[in-house]
Amino acid sequence: MFPIISLTLATLLVGTLLTFVAGARARWVALATSIVFLFEASAMLLGFTGLPQFGSGGTGFAESESYAWIHLGWLTINYSVGLDGISLVLVLLTAFLQLATVIYSWEESRRPGAWFGLVLLTCLGCLGVFVALDILLFFLFWEAVLVPMFFLIAYWGGPRRRYAAMKFFVYTHVASVVMLVALFAMAFYSGAASFDFPDLYAATHGLAATTQVFLALALFFGFGVKFPIVPFHTWLPDAHVEAPTGGSVLLAGLLLKLGGYGLIRWVVELLPQGISLIAPLLFVIAMVSIVWGSVLSLSQRDLKRMVAYSSINHMGIVLLAIAVHSPVGLMAAVLLMFAHGIVSGLLFMVSGSVHHTYGTRDIPSVGGITSRTPMLATMIMVGSLASLGLPALISFPAEFTALLATWDRLAYWVVVPLVILVVTAAFYLWMMQRLLFGPAKGGPEVVHDLPWYEGAGMAILVALTVLYGILPALLVNVIVQSPVSGPFP
Amino acid sequence: MLAFLPEVVLLATALVIFLLDVVGERRLEVLGGIAVAGLLASLALVLADLGFAPLAALRTLPAADVDLIPATSALFAFTSLGLAFEAIFLTAALLVALASLSRPSGEKGAAVFFGLLLIATLGMTTAAIAADLIFLLLAVEVVGISTYLLVGYPRRDPRGLEAAMKFYIVGALSTALSFFGASLLFGAYGSTNLVILSQATGSVGYPALALAGYALLIAGLGFKLTIVPFHAWAVDVYDGAPTDVSAFLAGGSKKVGLVAFFLLFIGPVSLIVVRPVACVGGVCPTAFDFAPTLQLALGILAVLTMTVGNVLALLQREMKRMLAYSSISQAGYMLLGIAVGTAPALAGATFQVLAHVFMKSGAFLVVAGVAGLGVGPLIEDWRGLGQRRPVLATAFALMLLSLAGIPLTVGFLSKFVLFSAAVNAQGYFVWLAVAGVLNSALSVFYYARVLKVMYVDPSPAEIPAPPALPFGGIGYGRAAAIALVVIAIVALGVDPQPVLGPLQSAANHFVLTGP
Repeated sequence: MFPIISLTLATLLVGTLLTFVAGARARWVALATSIVFLFEASAMLLGFTGLPQFGSGGTGFAESESYAWIHLGWLTINYSVGLDGISLVLVLLTAFLQLATVIYSWEESRRPGAWFGLVLLTCLGCLGVFVALDILLFFLFWEAVLVPMFFLIAYWGGPRRRYAAMKFFVYTHVASVVMLVALFAMAFYSGAASFDFPDLYAATHGLAATTQVFLALALFFGFGVKFPIVPFHTWLPDAHVEAPTGGSVLLAGLLLKLGGYGLIRWVVELLPQGISLIAPLLFVIAMVSIVWGSVLSLSQRDLKRMVAYSSINHMGIVLLAIAVHSPVGLMAAVLLMFAHGIVSGLLFMVSGSVHHTYGTRDIPSVGGITSRTPMLATMIMVGSLASLGLPALISFPAEFTALLATWDRLAYWVVVPLVILVVTAAFYLWMMQRLLFGPAKGGPEVVHDLPWYEGAGMAILVALTVLYGILPALLVNVIVQSPVSGPFP
Repeated sequence: MLAFLPEVVLLATALVIFLLDVVGERRLEVLGGIAVAGLLASLALVLADLGFAPLAALRTLPAADVDLIPATSALFAFTSLGLAFEAIFLTAALLVALASLSRPSGEKGAAVFFGLLLIATLGMTTAAIAADLIFLLLAVEVVGISTYLLVGYPRRDPRGLEAAMKFYIVGALSTALSFFGASLLFGAYGSTNLVILSQATGSVGYPALALAGYALLIAGLGFKLTIVPFHAWAVDVYDGAPTDVSAFLAGGSKKVGLVAFFLLFIGPVSLIVVRPVACVGGVCPTAFDFAPTLQLALGILAVLTMTVGNVLALLQREMKRMLAYSSISQAGYMLLGIAVGTAPALAGATFQVLAHVFMKSGAFLVVAGVAGLGVGPLIEDWRGLGQRRPVLATAFALMLLSLAGIPLTVGFLSKFVLFSAAVNAQGYFVWLAVAGVLNSALSVFYYARVLKVMYVDPSPAEIPAPPALPFGGIGYGRAAAIALVVIAIVALGVDPQPVLGPLQSAANHFVLTGP
């Protein structure tokens, strides 16, 4: 079989290394790498014709590759990669966001080689997490994401960037090492033949319920901090506010998805009993995250901070849909992750552009954007409407199915996220009213509308928002090709 | 006695160097070159004995003589794990010797430096094949005496002399404790043979006496390995010694303490974990078996060592002291392997030692090189090095990332294997693994701080001119050593199997046959 996944990883690796040494031409190398990556991701999508049978010799993953890596008798580790519908959708998201980010930050002038190299490296790490099918490779990429993001925040960030970068690192690193021990324990206590996902899958279902609960809790802590779940969410607003725009896009668009993906792949699929037993806890945390994220979001004046907190709210819905632990719920969770990746990426680009254009992100002190910079206003409009869940834009089908799945399990409790959705929608509308309409205020005398590269970066995401909003089946039909999220009942 | 050829080569090279000094040949390049050649030859012989195929022609130790259960009268035994440690020690010495070729050529005492380096290495390699406690302690003493002198060899440097004096006094104390412990063990069991000792824990003789003996040995050898609370000397000594010597102490010679722990404690510890409880000479273990106590004590010491090392490293403002504390914490990770005591944990700990040789020696060698460029001792003094010396800074960053356990470096994989071995042993060792990973997370901060200083902070206004050595003031030898370290960190970080596989089989043999 053609090793498309390894080829893609190699493409990004080579592209990253070349970008680092390319100096002034770095952006061209990064753009070329991104375009090749997008082609490769499309090739994966076109070649994806469903999954081979799980068990009975089949790995259950498409395009899977496995090579011996470390064999010590007691420890068997292979380099294993593979795709199912869930990972494929997230790989596509990575490709889209990488391209959009590279284009959006086209004119980055502070050490462009390092900037574009680190952006590519972050995407490489995320891609690796999504395709890795063994514990070592998964953890390797999981950790590899931290280093470039740390530098993106620490060097290109805002005034409190060092504090924010450190906090980001502490929270996520501590969580991930705990997760690592839990992964070890899962492999050794279940007596799995190797650290490969298919071998774990064959062994972990036999674990005792109490062991599953302990492992699920430890892993949930590890993945939950990335989500982020309340009360481990405080790194997120700091990191977002201080991060440069491109960094925020990757942080919200990709890094948060790592937590959700990890939870589905390494907890829901491997420890079904454990996740069922801790589901009540997950529901509570999800509801608190939804409400608290929304409340915090409402009280912000800073546009970027507001978008950052709304991420906590949206990821809370993702957690809710995962905790429902039904095929529809998991499908909805993945769809929502994709949607949130695109929409929050767009919103962070928007707030970055507002800041560049008007010199501030303070919502009350800027007004009349529509009349002064119509392009930017359009982008704000699309992003906000998508985020509040307007039908025909991408978030709607995702949130709709998520709430549908929640209704199946929790019945009237679904009122909580529903009410919050309405409140959030109202707040977005008010934000738009203040920023977009009314008399011109704030910013310099003469404002220029979006430069072409910022516009083009956002246009990619807007196009995706509309495309998948109208035709969510394009994604749904892929997502359900997975052992857990499909087929539809 | 062809089997001792690697040791003979080391001794002969050292003697040649001392003789040349007597006849007036004192050029650093010549003496250093001879030392490097001797170390290379010795390393080749050891690798051949380990069964490294391309060097099979050099093999002097028949495969049939390796990994036998030693006789109860044996002084030494060739185990593949011991040979692996010999190779690791020789690698450490080689890196330091290679880098020291770039020391200022007017410097006096080249013969003392290289000669003592070889003698210390000789002591280390001999310790690795010991099968008798007294033989082991004597070998450790050889290392001790030659390293006291190494620390003080630049006789004009008061800081070095002070460090040497401290090192000597603490070392003498630790030797006294070790020998006292050995005498108690002899009193309890009537033997100093490690095989007899390892199978006897509490089963015969006077268990309480033996437990006291082991406790004293933990203290005495713990000084060598810088285990908390016997660590305090290490920071002052590493800080005061010439930095290349610190590279050897931290990266190489302190591991001799670990080898001693391996030989002394794996037997007793693995007795309860792996080996079926053996009856020695018709006497079978009785109720009071203190092996579990010993194991728990080692586990607690391991966690204490890594935690104290890391926390204190966080507080340091000087680069060398930070690296010294980090070295203490790394000793904790290695000790964890002994506390767990299974073959996987042994392999993991040995791999961690190898990784640490590259990371820590490499880091100190870079520090020595950077000091030669006029950069001060404080971490702050490294501001902007990333822009001024991108290659050197990248190499140092890689070593620090490896120490922090960031993926695609050997430091990541060695911890990965070590901690997974602890979880694999199950029981309370899972909590040792948790303590280990949390410590590893903690350690990231002080390494990340250096990265921040090098890459994010701006350069100081005045930059001293580098000395007239090649490679921008680094010198060929040092540049080669640093390049070797970087290659090893990345190559072993991507594909550890060629080294880890043989280490695992060596550890399997070691647990079965003992020292």
